[in-house]
Formats: sequence, structure tokens, C-alpha cells
Amino acid sequence: MRLAFILGEIGSGLRRNLSMVISVVLVTFISLTFVGAAALTQMQITQMKGFWYDKVEVAIFLCGDDYGSQTCADGAVTDSQRSAIKSQLDSAAVKPYVESYEYESQDQALEHFREQFKNSPIVDTVTADQLPESFRVKMVDPEKYDVINELFTPMKGVDTVIDQRDLLEKIFSVMNVASLVAVGIAVVMIFCAVLLVATTIRLSAFSRRRETGIMRLVGASKAVIQLPFVLEGVIAALIGAVLASGTLWAVVKYLIQGKLAIEYPDTAFIATNEVFLVAPGLLALGIVLAGVSSVLTLRRYLKV
Amino acid sequence: MIRFEHVTKVYDQKSRPALDDIDVEINRGDFAFLVGASGSGKSTFIRLVLREDQASRGSVHVAGQNVAGIPNWRVPRMRRGIGVVFQDFRLLPNKDVFSNVAFAMQVIGKGRASIRSTVPEVLKTVGLEDKKRRMPHELSGGEQQRVAIARAIVNQPGILLADEPTGNLDPATSVGIMNILDKINQNGTTVVMATHDTDIVNSMRRRVIELDEGKLVRDEQAGEYTAMIPIVNRDGSRELRTADPRDQAIAPFDTEEDEA
Ligand SMILES: Nc1ncnc2c1ncn2[C@@H]1O[C@H](COP(=O)(O)OP(=O)(O)OP(=O)(O)O)[C@@H](O)[C@H]1O
Ligand SMILES: [Mg+2]
Repeated sequence: MRLAFILGEIGSGLRRNLSMVISVVLVTFISLTFVGAAALTQMQITQMKGFWYDKVEVAIFLCGDDYGSQTCADGAVTDSQRSAIKSQLDSAAVKPYVESYEYESQDQALEHFREQFKNSPIVDTVTADQLPESFRVKMVDPEKYDVINELFTPMKGVDTVIDQRDLLEKIFSVMNVASLVAVGIAVVMIFCAVLLVATTIRLSAFSRRRETGIMRLVGASKAVIQLPFVLEGVIAALIGAVLASGTLWAVVKYLIQGKLAIEYPDTAFIATNEVFLVAPGLLALGIVLAGVSSVLTLRRYLKV
Repeated sequence: MIRFEHVTKVYDQKSRPALDDIDVEINRGDFAFLVGASGSGKSTFIRLVLREDQASRGSVHVAGQNVAGIPNWRVPRMRRGIGVVFQDFRLLPNKDVFSNVAFAMQVIGKGRASIRSTVPEVLKTVGLEDKKRRMPHELSGGEQQRVAIARAIVNQPGILLADEPTGNLDPATSVGIMNILDKINQNGTTVVMATHDTDIVNSMRRRVIELDEGKLVRDEQAGEYTAMIPIVNRDGSRELRTADPRDQAIAPFDTEEDEA
């Protein structure tokens, strides 16, 4: 009985303050979408790290004609230089760090290049002699990159030594910045949401002051008087959180899995599973935000 | 039922106290009028009984309990033992008569069955059994006040406080209200009614407690509202004189008589 009564009170409260309630729903929706997007970006980074880190290699690029670096001053790499590099890779000093290595000729480089950029028009303008030949070294421990770098960079015929992880780190740092921006926007929006919930509850308490005044006089308990207001805010925030979760799910399902994952089959992407991990957090955050801000507001504006 | 022990209420340090050293006891089953000029402290008295406010000095006892000693979370339960009616009715405009009365039971968690049986009974007590589906704006002032009274007594409180319940009503309608309050009192409820209405006080002949600028100036059984007494002087001229305890026909109320 009491439950039916409280639900009725909540319903009338929501109807009476419809425009405010809608704005609470929208603001929590947007703020929680940003929170969720930040969380999913972090998950995507972790996913990519796991996927790429055991695939990345150290590339030792060899000299071609007219390369600018000091070690390439004598022109393209000679056969003897190439075999010196190869024997260095097989030497006792390097061997423990190297899991395996592979030689990639200019023609193979072109082939890889074509495969990687098959959808792009630059493929047709690139020829094999524009791409350097290289040794692709797979490290036992990718952190030990410096050893390879120090040994091979000064060798004649070596243009540069590149740790592919550096390239990935650049991508990750861009993604990190993006998720930080999302967090920043989320913080501002959450602040708005809290203020808006507080204002809504205040208005609601004001528009129902007759009811609450009578409730007080006939001896209704604090919980019965306050609960409809708190639940009003919580329900609005919850709807916002559900919308945010739904939006994130749709983005992952149709944009990431439905498009990106098909276009870039070599990369790991987050799936809807990750959204189901994030969604309960968003719902909880919405409930806590609305609950706390409405309780604090009621303490000030609703005498019991 | 209600006992004030040397109660002083100061709202604002700069002005005089709203109540000044009030010492009075209202017993179970009493019907007491609280009279006095505007600003004399009648509403303040009622607020203190309800623990809407607390006494600055002295203590207020309601149903044998010192209200200052009741923790905040227990105040609602204490208020369930008190019904209140105001001059401005305070009905909920979007609920009909029945729902307005039922509201008082719903918010303290009473069940649907007991609401369905109790509300019509109480509406009968106030003579509104035919109008339970009317909205407040479809009722006269007197009828609205009767709904308010029904709401105040629906949870069977031991005390009914009425702050100028006839203040907005014409004399004939007021008589109807007074009859209802009298009936409620006869059923054993202690009634305290603050009023300006001399005719009502005079015709009811019940206990009168008079306040003046926060001080208790008169407390008599079966009193009249004799704040101003018409005097015929020896030379035949007439004037109004402020009541004086010496004018009282009946001895002042003896506060040592009962113990709550
Ligand atoms: N909340 C308050 N804050 C400050 N002063 C108050 C407050 N309520 C009442 N007072 C003062 O206390 C005094 C008594 O007020 P009270 O309302 O009890 O008078 P009353 O007898 O009910 O008057 P009336 O017949 O006009 O209703 C007045 O001087 C009033 O100004
Ligand atoms: Mg008053």
C-alpha cells in the first residue's frame, strides 16, 4: 500500500516537473556517455596493447641510394655489409635477445605496403626502390630494444633502427588524450547534472510544499516525505544512464564492430561485451549522483 | 494532556518574547479557547505543542512527554497523536474530499482496507458523507473546513488543535464548525482552539485562556471573551474597559487540580 502510494507520488511529481525531469535525463545521458566513452577508449587501448605488443618488431632499415644518414654516406647497402649485419644478429651478444628475425627485401616491402594500403590511391605511385629493405627482429623482451639500437645503429649499411612500439605509443598517447578530453567533458557535465538535479528537487519540493506540509502535520515519517523526491531524481538519472549505455552499445555494435572491425581486420577492437562491463558502472554512477545531490538538497529545502 | 511549565518563547532577541513565562495545564478531554489580541502568542502556543518550534525556556509536555526530549526521528510519531486545523483549510486542490482525508492515513502507512472503512465514517461525523467525490474548489468555505477537520481527526488523535478555524467563515457557518468540534470533544478528544470570535467563546461557555503580549492574563472555566467589558458609569455614560481578574464571576482555574 505504502509502496503504491509512494509510486503515485513519484508519478505525479515527474509529470508536474516534466521539462526539468527531461533536462536531468538529457544531461545525465550526455555526461554518462562521455564517462562511458572514456572508459571504452581505455579498454580499447588495453585491447590493442595486448594484441600488438606480441606482434611488434624492431625494424633495422638498410641503406638505399642517397639516404641522408651518416652510415649511408657510401650509398646503398652492399652484400658484405648485409651479411655482416646478419652475422651480428646471429652472434652470441645478440642472440639471447632475439626470438627470431626475418629479412625483408624491397619487393617484399612493396608487397606488404600494397596489402596494407590496398584501399588508398598512393599504392599506385609507390615503387619497390622507394622502400628500404630491412631486417625484422622479433625480441624476446621488447623492453630490451636499446641493446639492438646501440649495436646496429652505428653499423655501415644501416639507415635507422626503429622500434615499432614507438609508433604504437604515439597512437596510444593520442587515444589517451582523447579519453582524457572525454573525462574532462564528463566532469563538467556531471557537475551540471548534479546542479540540475538539485534545482529540480528544489522546484519539486517547492511545488509540493502543500503536500509535504500536511504530511509533516499528520506525522508522516521523514522517509515517506523525502523518498518520492529522491526517487524522482534517481529515476531521471537512471533513464539518462540507460540512454547513455544504449548509445555506447549502438556505437560499438554498428560503428566499431560493424564498420571499423571489418575495414581493419588486423586490429583488435572492443566489442559489445565491454559495453556490458561499463554499463552497470554508468547506472551506479547515475544513481549515486542523483541520490546524493537530492538528499543534500532536501536537507536544506525540505523541512521535516 | 498539554502542560506548559514556565514557557518562554523568544523568536528575536530584540523584540519582546512571543510567549512569556506561560504556566498552564490542559487536561484530557478539556475544551479550551485560546484568546487574545493579534500577536498575543496564540499561534506560537500551538506551534510549541506541535514541536514545530521549541521553547526558549521552560518545558512543554504533551501526553505526559517533555517534547524537548523527543529525538527528531520520533517527532512524526508524536504528531500522529495531534490533529491540527487552520484558518486557511490547507486542502490539496487536486484531490477530492475522500482523497484529502485518506491522504492523512496513506502517508502514515495505513492499509487500504482501514482507509476504506474509516474515511466514510469520519466524513459522516463532519456531515460530508454525500460530498466525498467533490473537489475542494466545489465546496463552500465551511465545507472545506469540515474536510480539514475530518483529515485532522481521521487518525484518532488525542488532541485537536485549531488555529482560528472559523476565521474565514460567517457566523452561521461557524456555528456548524463549533458543533462538530464540540462533538469531537464529547468523544473524548482534547480540543484547543485559538480564536478572535467573541460570540463563539461567549456562547460555548468553555474554558478560556487569554494571552496578552505573550503573558497569560486569564484562565477560567466556562469563561467569556471579556477582554473588553462594557461599563455603565454612574452618570449614565458608557465605556469599554479592559478585563480585570476582579471582574471574574468564577474563580480562576486551579492548576493543581489534575495531573496528566
Ligand atoms: N517565525 C517567527 N519569527 C519571528 N517572530 C515571530 C514568528 N512567529 C511569530 N512571531 C512573533 O511572535 C508574536 C506572537 O505571534 P503569534 O503568531 O503567536 O500571534 P497570534 O496570537 O497567533 O496572532 P494572530 O491572532 O494575529 O494570529 C508576534 O509578535 C509575532 O510577530
Ligand atoms: Mg495566529
